[in-house]
Order: sequence, then C-alpha cells, then structure tokens
Amino acid sequence: MSSITAVAGTSLVSNFALEEEKKTTGEKVRLLTPDGKIVEVEASNINKYPEAHITPAESRKGIPNRKFVMVIDLAKCKNARSCVESCQKAHDLDYNEEFIKIQLIQNNEESLPYWFPKPCFHCDEPPCVTVCPTGATFKRDDNIVLVDNERCIGCKFCVTSCPYSARIFNWGHKDKFENTNQPYSPETGIPATEGTIMKCDFCPDLLRQGKLPYCAKACPMGVIYFGDKNEDIVTNGEETVRFSELINDRGGYRHLEHLGTKPNVYYLPAVNRQFPLERGFNIDEDIIERYKNVPYVQDLKKRGKI
Amino acid sequence: MDIEQRKRELVKEFSPMLRKTTTISKIWIGFLIAVIAVGFYALILQFTKGHIVTGMRDNVVWGIYIINFIFFVCLSYSGAFIAGILHFFKTPWKNSVSRIVEITTVLSIIIGPIFILLCIGRLDRLHYLFLYPRIQSPITWDIIAILTDLIGCFLYLYLTFIPDFSILRDNSDDAPKWRKKLYSILSFGYQDTTSQRERLNKITRIMSTMIIAMAIVTYSVLAWIFSLTVQPGWNSTIFAPYFIIAGLYSGVSVIIVAMYLIRKYYHLNHYIRKVHFVGAGIILLVISLLFGYFTFTEYFSRWFSHKTHDIELLETLFNRYFWEFIFANYIGVLVPIGILFFKKFRTIKSITFAAVIAILGLWFNRYLIVVPTLETPYIPIQDTRPEFIHYSSTWIEWALSFTGIAAFILFFMLIMKLVPIIPISGIIDQERKSKKIKPKIIL
Amino acid sequence: MKGKIFKLTYIASFITSLLISINCGAQEIDVSNYRMLYNFSTVKQHDNSRVLEVSFIARNKKSKKDKIPVFDAEIDFFNILNDKEVLLGTSKTSKEGIAQLTLPENQSYLTDEEGYFNFKAVFEGTAGLDGEEEELAIKDIFIELYLSEIDSVKTVLVKAFTIDSLRVETPVEEVDIIISIGGMLSKMTLEEGYIENGEYEFEFPTDIPGDVNGDLTVYSIIDDHKEFGNVNKKETINWGVFHKQDKKENNKLWSDAAPIWMYVVLTFMLVGVWANYIYTIINLFKIKKEGVNLELESKV
Repeated sequence: MSSITAVAGTSLVSNFALEEEKKTTGEKVRLLTPDGKIVEVEASNINKYPEAHITPAESRKGIPNRKFVMVIDLAKCKNARSCVESCQKAHDLDYNEEFIKIQLIQNNEESLPYWFPKPCFHCDEPPCVTVCPTGATFKRDDNIVLVDNERCIGCKFCVTSCPYSARIFNWGHKDKFENTNQPYSPETGIPATEGTIMKCDFCPDLLRQGKLPYCAKACPMGVIYFGDKNEDIVTNGEETVRFSELINDRGGYRHLEHLGTKPNVYYLPAVNRQFPLERGFNIDEDIIERYKNVPYVQDLKKRGKI
Repeated sequence: MDIEQRKRELVKEFSPMLRKTTTISKIWIGFLIAVIAVGFYALILQFTKGHIVTGMRDNVVWGIYIINFIFFVCLSYSGAFIAGILHFFKTPWKNSVSRIVEITTVLSIIIGPIFILLCIGRLDRLHYLFLYPRIQSPITWDIIAILTDLIGCFLYLYLTFIPDFSILRDNSDDAPKWRKKLYSILSFGYQDTTSQRERLNKITRIMSTMIIAMAIVTYSVLAWIFSLTVQPGWNSTIFAPYFIIAGLYSGVSVIIVAMYLIRKYYHLNHYIRKVHFVGAGIILLVISLLFGYFTFTEYFSRWFSHKTHDIELLETLFNRYFWEFIFANYIGVLVPIGILFFKKFRTIKSITFAAVIAILGLWFNRYLIVVPTLETPYIPIQDTRPEFIHYSSTWIEWALSFTGIAAFILFFMLIMKLVPIIPISGIIDQERKSKKIKPKIIL
Repeated sequence: MKGKIFKLTYIASFITSLLISINCGAQEIDVSNYRMLYNFSTVKQHDNSRVLEVSFIARNKKSKKDKIPVFDAEIDFFNILNDKEVLLGTSKTSKEGIAQLTLPENQSYLTDEEGYFNFKAVFEGTAGLDGEEEELAIKDIFIELYLSEIDSVKTVLVKAFTIDSLRVETPVEEVDIIISIGGMLSKMTLEEGYIENGEYEFEFPTDIPGDVNGDLTVYSIIDDHKEFGNVNKKETINWGVFHKQDKKENNKLWSDAAPIWMYVVLTFMLVGVWANYIYTIINLFKIKKEGVNLELESKV
C-alpha cells in the first residue's frame, strides 16, 4: 500500500519537475506533498485561469455595468508592504518596480506623517489618456484605465502628464519581456514590453473571476477596500461595507482633488490610528532610506530611534 | 551694365566658394564627420541596450533630447518667422542674411524632430501615430504641425533658390557635368522672364505669410506639450507666447553667429557688413527685453502667489539649480541687453558674443523648464536610487546632442557648396531697382 | 509482464526523484518544523445539499505567517454511528489545501438517538506525514427564506426548524443568524440577529442598488453554530434600486473621439495650408511650362 502511494506521489511531483525544466521563470508556489516533501512549483502549472484570454481589443470594453472604486483606510496602514510585494509577484515586477507605492506624507509641520499607499487612481478624467497620441492607454466603462503594451510607442507623455507619478517605463531589456507563458493581455500586463509604459491596472483578470485585486487581498490590516460603485459595496476581504456609508461616515476624500482629475481611489483620513507610525519602520534599511527627506524621519534618526 | 554680364560676374565671384574646398573646411568636415560617427556609435548603443543607457528614469522621463528638440524646432520656427518677415516687408538689407535664415530654418526642422525620435521607446511602432491617431493629444498636433511646417519650409527655401539655380545653370560652362545637370533640373525651367519673375514673386510672397502664420501655430503647439499638463512648472497660460519670444531669441542669435562665421571664413565682408550686425543686434535687444520680461512674469507670479508646489519648484531652482538658473535667467538675458543697449558696445564681435551668451542662456532656460519640474512632482519622490531622484545626462545623450549640432553645421556647409550663401538673384534685383543695370531685351 | 511494469515504474520514479532532488533540493525544508492544521467543517447549502470540507495546512511552528498547503492528500469522509462506518466519499486536497465532498439533498445519513449526524474525515498518513482524523456532530436544520412586501415594506422572513425521526417539525430557539446580500466580490452583511420561536423577521433597507436590473440576492446564514454547523440559504428578488449609470460621455478629451470643434479647426487649418502648397506647386509648374516653351522657341 505504502509503495503505491509513494509512486503516485513521485509521479505527481515528477510532472511538476519536468514542466519546471521547460519554464524557468515565473511565480513559484510552495506545496507540501502527501509524502511529506515541500516542493516549489511554478504557479502557472497549477494556476491556469479557466477564463478565456482577453485580447487587447476586448480589454478596451471593460466589465459591463461595473464602476470600480478603491477606498484606502489610512488609519490602518502600518507600512507592512504586503500589498506592494503581492502586486510585484503577481505582475512579475522587479524589486524597485512598484505599481502601488507606499509614501510617507506629512500634511504640515504640526501633524504627524502617515503611510500613504498610492496605486494608480484610475481617474474619471485621466490626463494620461487625454495626451496619449495612439490610444495605447484608455479609459474603460468600468472606470479602469489600462495600458495596451502592444500599442504603446513609448513617448512618455502620459508619464509627464500624470500628477500622481503612477506610471513606470520599461527602460532596458529584461528576460521577462520574452516570457511567453501566457499570451499578452492588457488586463494582466504580462509579459511587459521594453520601451513601453506600465502601471497599476486594478487587476481586471482577477475581477473577472470575482476576486479582489492582489494588493487588497494581501493586506493583513484590511487597509484596502475594493468594490463596485454601482453596487455600492466595497470589501477588504474580511469586512464588506457600503461604499457610500464608508465615505460619508469616515470623511473619505480624494488626493489632490483640486486638480480635477476625479480619481476613483478614495482615502479615509488617518484619524484614531491603529498603529503608531514607528511600526512602519520595521522594514528593509534601503526602503527606510526612501523617507529620509520627511522632517519627522530626520528627527527620528537624530534621536537614534531608527 | 547688362544684366547677363553682371550675372556672369557674380557667378564668377562666388564660384570659388561653391567649387573649391579649402584645407580649413576639409579639416572641419573631417571633424564634424568624426563627431557624427561617435554619435552614431552612441545611437547603436541606445538601440541595442535600450533607454537604460540614457540618464532618463521614471521621474525625469524627458532629458536633454527633448530640450534639444525644443531648441532646434524653436530655431526653425523663428527662422521661418524671420524669413517670412524679411521677405514680406521687403526689408532693404535682407538679401545678405535671408539665405542664412532660410537654410537655418530647414536644417533645424530636420534635425529637431530626430531628437524626439531618440526619446521614443518603440521606434518600430512609429507608424501607430498614423494608424491609431488621437486628435486630442498635443503630440498628434505637434506631429501634424512639424510635418506641415517641414514641407512648407522646404517649399519656401526652394522658391528662394530657383532664381539662383537658373543663374548658375546659365553661367557654369566650366563646371562639372553633374553640377550643370543638377542646376538645370533644380532651376525648374526658370528663365527670369518678367512673367516668370512676377509669378515667382507672388507665390514666394504668399508662402512667406503662410510661414509666419504657421510658425506661430506650431510654436504654440510645442509650448502646449508642456503647458497643457497640470504640472507645477509647466501649467502656464503665457507659455505659448513665451516660447515664441524664446524661439526668436535663440533664432536671431544663431543667425548672428552664423553671419559672423560665414563672414569670417568665406571673406564676405563686402556683403555681410556691420550694418547687418547692428540691425540684427537691435532686433536681439528688443527680443531679449521681451524675453526677460516674459521670464520675469513667469517666475514672479509663481513666487508671489506662493502655491505649495510652485514654491517647491522654485526652491529646487534656487538651490540645486542655482548657477544654472543664474546663468540662464540673469546672465543669459542681462548680458546681451547690457551689450546691445549701448551704441558704443555694438561692434561685430561684441554683438556676436551677446548672441553666443543668449544661445547658451536659452538652452539652459529650456533645461530649467523641463528637468526641475519633472524632479518635483505633486507626490514627492521617495526613492533610494539616485538616478531616479535626479537627472544627470549620460555621455550617450551628449554625444547625440553634439551630433545634432555637427550635422547642422555639416549640412550648412554642404548647402553652401550648392548655392551661393548670398543670393545672386537678390543682388541683381536690388541693382535692377536702383537702375544700375539694364534688363536684357527678349525678343 | 506485471513485474516488468513494476520495474519500469520503479526506475522511472527513481529518475524523477533524482530530478526533483536537482530541481528542488535547495528548497526542501524539514517538515518537523511545521505543525499540521487539520480542520473539518460542514456547510448546508441553499439547495439543501451538504458540503464536507477539510482544510489541511502546515504552519511553521516559529513564524505563524509561513503556511504551506498540503496538496493532493487523499481524505476519506465517513458517516459514523457507534461502530458503524459508512464511507461517504473521498476527495483530494486542492492547492489551497482544501478537500471538499458535496452530498446531495436526498443523501441518507445514520442518525444517533439525539438526532445528530456524526461525520469523520480521515487522512491515512504516509511515510512522510502522520495520519489525521477529526469528527463532527451536526444536527440537521431546515431553513426557509421568505421575501415579501408586507404593507409595502420589504420584509425578510426566516423560518428555522428541525425534523425528528417521527417527521415532527420543531422550531429552533436562539440561533444567531446573519442576513446578507450578494456583491460582485463578497457578501455584505445587512443585519445580525437571532432566531426566536423558529422565526426571524427583518425589514429590508430601501436603498440597496442591486445589479443592473435591480435584482439582488438575499442570504440568510448560520455561521459555525455548535449544533448545526454552517447553513446557507439564498433567494433572488427584484428589490434593488440601481444607480443610473452616468451617460457615456462622448467627444471628450479622454474619450475615443475628440470634441467636434477640434476636428473642425484642424481640418480648416490643414486645408488652408495645403491648398496654399498646392497653389504654389501649380504655379511652379506654370513657370516650368513657360520656361520649356521659351527653350523650344529659342531652339526653333
């Protein structure tokens, strides 16, 4: 009996092993096999999306009758960076390429700074879409602003016109650009293309499966709420609430509202914080370095707290 | 004196310039080709390794390429503007400078757009601009404007060349065969008859007004690439007229420098005289006053209204870019004004010096419009990689920039081998008007 | 023959195990550092079918965040009564470490004297992993969900009862219940209450948008009750007030088509300029024609 199990077990793993030889890059998932071995396998081997491939043309339409919004609760963020890391893993980004960045913002000298996760705001009046000369970046009916990397000519005008620094350019060549594990779709942005633009895409591939975007799902504190404004429901994976109530009761606002871009990412102000700000400095040294220009951080350093 | 005889005389006078290549110019050509070769190597590096070889990164996505682009394109527009004005108002002393202006216009409109191509990540997809055009994008306007302007400038330059081609065709019996054939084709059947001359004058005049109008439109479009965004240093209502003045400032200066060099190396003291320098110098004075005024208003209103992000930008300008700012907006404006304002300072050399200062100052002015704004976005840059925080151009970008300048000079020299830099037909026209020469009677 | 196949399999598995050791050797971690979390639960679904579910995950003893799902482990589900064991079915764990077995509404179960179904989920164990088993005692509960408008008030009525062996319905008492509506990504709780005398009534809010047709799905959920486990019931009704979508804005700066005035101005300018170019070129050719004629005349 036991020998049969062992053979079955190895044959299962051997499938992974053989396939692994073919594809050397991509996301890895750790699993425990019944015979007590922990193996790392390609996520793509087991994580095949059942959904149909969304072509660039189809991706322009958007998911019908949806208006996606995100609400970020600044009171709960402690710079755990799970959102960043999960997003990077899913979108095959490098260490420094971040679709969602965590900024440390200090509104004025008197107030304490706060952690400020900043994805693309998927504006209703997106300046990036306005200036694109080829329609490579476009606004969909479901509020999402996407980039078609097969259309983009890399003029970078969208980068200079975005007031939120949400866009990243693929400067040099990397092997991952030739990763053909899955056909290109603007909805996944994978594989990325040299000489073109990429940015946060609200993970429409997951939304089509009724799943939360990677950042919202990964956040251990439930900072990021995501949902459909038409339904008036947003969720952070644990708690599901009405969008309008959340915004009205908690004083939701949009960053740099006066620019008139009408973002679809709302913030709940950092009041009654759940964590002291210092908790957020429990991270890599070089990431702490990013915040060195914030006066508060300079003060912390002076007192030897970091 | 008979017109035909005078034409022959003039061709004889200018033919050494056209046909003989002096040692100095040979050395120059060699040097320029060497610079272009280095630039070509840099270009190959950029193509094979990608834009990573430049100093541009996610915050400062536009570097000195775009600055050179604005600089050259502004030069061209201002050239067109000046050429149009000179022709339209029949300026008395225009003949000696008009060809310099026209050549400058056409060359810089060819070289300028090459710099924007260097900025584009996927040149293999350039045709998408025409396959999937979006009329709302200022880039689309700019492309339409540049292409239209390029064709217009070429056409205009050609119109002004025709009479000279015809004179050269009729008077180069001892020239090599290819040259004769070339002149014969290029002169387009022009025989300098009264009706031909009148027709040519008419269309040249219309084209000259067209070119003035087009220069204003295209200038504005170029300025709008910046001022239509919401970025603190760019979102300014006066950018379009400011760019027009800035362009004229560099345009007149480049023409003065070109006049000086051509006068010196081709011994044309007789044609390009002090009066031309003084005239151009006074125009430069007026433009530098205007340019200083625009620069002042631009920064003054930003400083006075004291909006957070404007102040952040000004702080960057007055700290990190202190010397560049002083050079571009103080020295680059006040020194030319100081020289040109006083009559006794207006010598050929000092006027040329003022022009050189103006050109350099203006280039830095463009740099300070593009780079510091991108370094101070609305959401502060929080990054640890120095190249992502501050822009510093690499040797590749510089090599390609100097290639642009070298190509400009080289092509200028080559065109001067084809047609006399002082339009012969212009001299004839002037002399005909002052009745110095008699027309040949065609029976 | 049989022996040959066995031999081949043996060699094949030996080679593959070598391959694994090349590929995965570096990543192998000692299982002894991990605690196995073996969790057995059951859900009675809206169609009265019942799902038995095992979640099988290894968790690092030191860092609780480090969790590894057990994949492809075979779980046997039994219905037990005293000494009797009936195998209900077998399922393998997914990549999330979850094995599920769905039993239809008409499945008959062994019931003990107090009316409980006793379930057992067993993992046999292998050379590498110890065996696991967990038992669950669940009483069957029946829930009826009624959605109706009473005096133009949208009312949700939940009735809950148990049925004993004599087919007598007994209303349940003091069971927590959650009323939710379905969203695209998750269910949103509207109210948490508890059932008294086998009934629970809830006045449905008037401003829930629902989907594009105004349809919405109402759920009544009993969550992890010690007696009844998880029980879900759902019903769809047209009670939503869908927010009218903003009209699609055409001809804006960020839409596909540009504002019309832009086309007009651009066309106007381009036609003007190009007409002039063409006029110039036509005149140039007239000049040429005159020149050619002159040349011909002079030759004649």
